[in-house]
Amino acid sequence: MIAYLMNLATIVAIFGILAATLNFIIGFAGIFSVAHAVFFGLGAYAGAQVALLLVPDALLACLVGAAIAGGLSLCLALPALRVRGEYFVAASLGLQMMAATLFAEVKPLTGGIGGLVGIPRPTLLGVQIGVLPVAVAALALILFLTARLQRGAFGRTLQSIRDAESAAEALGKNVAAAKTLAVAFACAGAGIAGALFALHLSFVNVESFTMDQSVLVMAMVIIGGTGTLWGPIIGAVILLSLPAGLAFLPFIPATEVGAVQQIIYGLAMTLLMIFRPAGLVGDLSKGRSTA
Amino acid sequence: MFGPLIARRALLGTALAAPFIRPSFAQGSDPYVIGTLFPMSGPNAEYGKLFTDGVQLAIDHMRAENLLRRPVRVQSEDSQALPQQAVIGMTKLINVDRASWVLTGFTSVSKAVAPVADRARTITVNGGAVGPDLERLSPYFWNVIPLAHLETRAIFPFLIRRDLKRVALIYVDDPFGDAILQLMQREFPAAGGTVAGVFSIPRAQQNFGAVAARVRQARPDAVYIASFGAQQPQIIKGLRDNGVRQPLISYSGINIGSVLSLPEAEGLIFTSQKFDFSAGDALTRRFAADFRARHGADPAIYNTNYYNGTRLFALLAAELERENKPVNGDTLRETLLRIREFDLVGGKASFDEHGSMTAAIQINEIRGGRMTPIAG
Repeated sequence: MIAYLMNLATIVAIFGILAATLNFIIGFAGIFSVAHAVFFGLGAYAGAQVALLLVPDALLACLVGAAIAGGLSLCLALPALRVRGEYFVAASLGLQMMAATLFAEVKPLTGGIGGLVGIPRPTLLGVQIGVLPVAVAALALILFLTARLQRGAFGRTLQSIRDAESAAEALGKNVAAAKTLAVAFACAGAGIAGALFALHLSFVNVESFTMDQSVLVMAMVIIGGTGTLWGPIIGAVILLSLPAGLAFLPFIPATEVGAVQQIIYGLAMTLLMIFRPAGLVGDLSKGRSTA
Repeated sequence: MFGPLIARRALLGTALAAPFIRPSFAQGSDPYVIGTLFPMSGPNAEYGKLFTDGVQLAIDHMRAENLLRRPVRVQSEDSQALPQQAVIGMTKLINVDRASWVLTGFTSVSKAVAPVADRARTITVNGGAVGPDLERLSPYFWNVIPLAHLETRAIFPFLIRRDLKRVALIYVDDPFGDAILQLMQREFPAAGGTVAGVFSIPRAQQNFGAVAARVRQARPDAVYIASFGAQQPQIIKGLRDNGVRQPLISYSGINIGSVLSLPEAEGLIFTSQKFDFSAGDALTRRFAADFRARHGADPAIYNTNYYNGTRLFALLAAELERENKPVNGDTLRETLLRIREFDLVGGKASFDEHGSMTAAIQINEIRGGRMTPIAG
């Protein structure tokens, strides 16, 4: 049971990083991206290749994953500077679709749809370790940085851009630089999550980096509460542990196990959004219809 | 003041925990747990149902025969045919349910769970995915289905005999499709045939009008379809709707309800493991008869594979019980490598040193919505 819980905790920590970083651009900067799984994937492939070709050092894999995902996030940041709101959602959707196709086609780097197998177990300074402590440490670091940035001048700039971009620009804020930095920070975090995911599963393929994954991470942010520090983590815990918990219900027949679990899961999510529209940690006064 | 509140919380907690409480078993009669890691929801749930039906019939037969001293329990987990969900399910089966044997399917799921099986030394058996890259994933990962390259090779002499010498290949762009492409290009010309054209399709493609036009342009004698899942009936319909009248050829993965019930699939020729449900051995006849009685239809290949995957555990565990040895991944593997050949549905099946099964291949045709053996 402990091994199972540790595995679940590792996946929750990895998705906690993903949700916290997506929350940084959605909740604080108002950039609605549906392409977060792309940067998760870039980090995963980068981390996997480091482990396969060089050394399975978790720290090195995370650094390379963060550098590649953060660097290539300019692909997202550049359109982000030109369009807002729903137009940016459409632009990120295009990026997600293009990236998923590239992940499936660039076989020398990604292994195509077959993916990369046999990724060795992670080490730290030559000692074999589990992914959980590294993932928890990375999550803590990202939450700490998020809290610091949120409270500082950069965070206030982002929030002013989120609430009124033209007004922020009129007040002399460098909107383009702030948005680019926010996207780079969030995507580098997603890259770290990706590298840890690859080391944890020992296998990666494109099926883990599709639109569905981006939507799942966005659901974690919304259910937990956008613009809050702990909301996305709570969202990740709920969205990952609820289906895992439902697997323990002993009275579901084997042939119906998936359908029943999905119905209960969907119902719980719907009820949650009806009664806590601003998310579990969000401001209760927000999100409700006032009509 | 807090009394009633605490009592209410305790009552609520107990009520919420009740479904999770399992009966405890005495040590000597602890059941063997057979874990199933199939897609039970989502677009591939049709396969999960097929796989599970085979497992359940095998369990019933095993109990009726009193094959094992200890009882057997099936624990199902929904993989959704996705690697991440599969790894969560697999760790639960191994660490919480203490599964002695796990049945799985789908290439990406198999690749994701193989390292987990390897670390835990738990035998994991694939009966659904046929990608040749599933061989040698781990000493504890076995296949109870002949992998695709073995099946496809077997149809080449049949095609030449039928004068279907120019074959166009429509293949899905993944390791399975790539393996069929390489095999066709390497071995079909050596068998006396010609590859008239090769057409790669993405896994998510649903419209095949353009592919059909290009296939018609290539003027083949037959069209080989190497795809899987819900895409297969869409390809068949797309080809027929767009005027491709040549015989369609495929492999055992095409033998699913959504294809068999498709009028456009009439006459489709495909390979599978050799099964003679009416005149085969007693085990095969009993399997077919009981399956028809329970489901009102002939068993599909996948029903059979997962029946065999479950029965293989029973045969190995029974052997270990006879020898008073513990049943675990290592002893099961030792026994498999020692015995090698087993009586399963369809006849004798033999396993190589990597745990991959080889079996005789037959050629079938879809006639009246049913699989009809025609050669092999």
